[in-house]
Amino acid sequence: MRRMTGLQVIALAVALLLVPAWAVAFQNEGTLRIGGMWALSGGAAFFGKAALGLGTLAVDEINEAGGVTVGGKKVKLTMHPQDDACNAEQGLAAVRRLATVDKVLFSLGPTCSSVAEPVFGTLQKKLGDAGDTGLQLLFFTDTATKFGLAKLSPWVFRNTPDEPAMYDFIVKYLKENRPELKTVMVSYESDFAHSAATWKGALEPALKKHGYHQVVEVVDWKWLDTEMGAQVTKLRRANADVYFALAHTTSMCPSLKEMKSQRVKPKLIFGITSLAGTEVLLNCPDLAEGVVSPTNFAPINARAKQIADKSWEKYKADSNIHSVPAYENVHLIKGLIEKAGLTNTEDTLLQDRRKVRDLLAKVGTFQGVIGKITLNPEDHPVKPRDVDKDMLLVQVKSAKWTVFWAPPHLKQN
Amino acid sequence: MFFDAAEQFINGVMYGSLYALIGGGFTILFGVMRRFNMAYGATIMAAAYVSLVPLYLFRAPFWLMVLTGLAAAILIGLLVEFCCFRFIKKGHELAPLVATIGMLIAITEAIVHATDAAGLKYPSPFGDESLELGRFLVRPDYLAVLVAGVLCFTLIFLLLYKTRLGRAMRAVAERPEAAQILGVSVQRVNVLTFVLTSALAGVIGFFAAVSVGSARPDIAAFVTGKGLVVMVLGGLGSLPGAIVGGLVLGVLEFQATWFLGASYRDILAFLILFVILVFRPRGLLGARTT
Repeated sequence: MRRMTGLQVIALAVALLLVPAWAVAFQNEGTLRIGGMWALSGGAAFFGKAALGLGTLAVDEINEAGGVTVGGKKVKLTMHPQDDACNAEQGLAAVRRLATVDKVLFSLGPTCSSVAEPVFGTLQKKLGDAGDTGLQLLFFTDTATKFGLAKLSPWVFRNTPDEPAMYDFIVKYLKENRPELKTVMVSYESDFAHSAATWKGALEPALKKHGYHQVVEVVDWKWLDTEMGAQVTKLRRANADVYFALAHTTSMCPSLKEMKSQRVKPKLIFGITSLAGTEVLLNCPDLAEGVVSPTNFAPINARAKQIADKSWEKYKADSNIHSVPAYENVHLIKGLIEKAGLTNTEDTLLQDRRKVRDLLAKVGTFQGVIGKITLNPEDHPVKPRDVDKDMLLVQVKSAKWTVFWAPPHLKQN
Repeated sequence: MFFDAAEQFINGVMYGSLYALIGGGFTILFGVMRRFNMAYGATIMAAAYVSLVPLYLFRAPFWLMVLTGLAAAILIGLLVEFCCFRFIKKGHELAPLVATIGMLIAITEAIVHATDAAGLKYPSPFGDESLELGRFLVRPDYLAVLVAGVLCFTLIFLLLYKTRLGRAMRAVAERPEAAQILGVSVQRVNVLTFVLTSALAGVIGFFAAVSVGSARPDIAAFVTGKGLVVMVLGGLGSLPGAIVGGLVLGVLEFQATWFLGASYRDILAFLILFVILVFRPRGLLGARTT
């Protein structure tokens, strides 16, 4: 047999590189592509990497159990992550790639609401409308939390926290259980959509609705700020009973350091949902001692503990309020794929996406890691295609998150 | 009102010392080489992370952390010099600028991947609670930055104006060709300038992480932004300008945050920068040479 020349070897290598990625995917090759876009670099990468890790863990579990049955044949799931770096422009490029180059069945993510908003804006607004040239790509979001994002397109479903309900519960809880705490001060990140929306769209309406607490000071800073001396001086002067720090770890830790420095000691501190993870424990465990945060995940049962251990061991991925939904979403979609009657070919990709989307819209209640989750129907008046799920309050004690409050049915687990 | 303004002024001066140090690092390099090192912020951030290694491995004392940070910063600085400056010929000023932007991203992402994007707790040797000076509360780590700033700039000025190396650096900054004709090795001076500014980066990394309470990847972007503003505000290549620029920026930011809120802080600070540059395009103390 004639040996290849160097030039031929290079030509072959180039040809292999130029083969489109999708040419080795789909049913004939025994694979089914799923995607995800997260902040895998930049300031929010801790969350993005965690969600990727938990999503990949679910894919591993499904593949180790034989894969997913499509057309009577077992195929393996392959994960195709894209990095949006919590940057809208990169997000817009990533969604196009997922939809048209990677040709994934559905996508997890994004991490940041500021990316999700423009990305979801590129999706089709009206199902089946030939005149609507928006992307027909199914999103089952795990992280981007800003209220109302799923309303932007019928292709968007979210398994994310319901923050208005969470902060409404906290305000009510305080009113009923700690009536002596009457004054409130608040900080939020003015340049972070999630933080600002939690104040304007969740906490402020809850405080007004219950009408019990007096807001004596509201300060803001930027999420990557490192110095909050002036704002904390205002909080010190306000000297309120309860402090709502609606800040992510990046600004939470330096602000808590400044508070300790200025001897600001509110009786109770509540954080933002995103705080309830390992990041804050790595950054400032001692400063965060006593901080309470609402969440939808804590390792309170054997399954949750096992997932948290496994994801950390295998991918150094933190199991938290935002990442565990990626795991839940992949497992849920796996079941839908098997029911949907997909053909899993390049030519039928849009029909396959639509079939899974339509099944997801009707899924109703499904089992999450710590409890039941209800995916609201499309005609839900307030939050269509968003979920309702159990919430807990967790508190930092001795550099660990512990359960501060949990609903009775979860406590029994 | 007066008390508030005075308290924020004091805080601004102390924190502005950190800005001055950052601006000083950028300025010395620009003053000598007439080139921007955009990877300087990444060097500072990486030094802060590496300085934690002896602490996390064997609970090393603070002086060892600082020395480790200094050594790491010098090594990274020399790597930047080798990769982004040494082989680029004179006349291609944009090449090192772009190369160091690439290096900034590469170093930052290397740290992000090595640490899984997690910030790491950075303990403070200065205590957590503020000192009470009359009615004023003064953060001990900010006070330490002020003292470190005075010490560092004193040493740098002594080096620049009282040593042979300093004379050589000023000569290269003024007229590199003439300095070379007179026997000064421009490349050696450039390398030593990198060593000097990188050692300063190690000090800045320590104080930046101490003031935040953790080493974080975004420190790179933060110090790069502040450093460039201070350098332009003070005057490109002017070390006294960097000191004044840093202090002015610190005071402006604290006053703006106190009286107008954080949302207006950057608007005000950059508006004033704009006004200064309109009337004094060379910056507050702009000069051609260091």
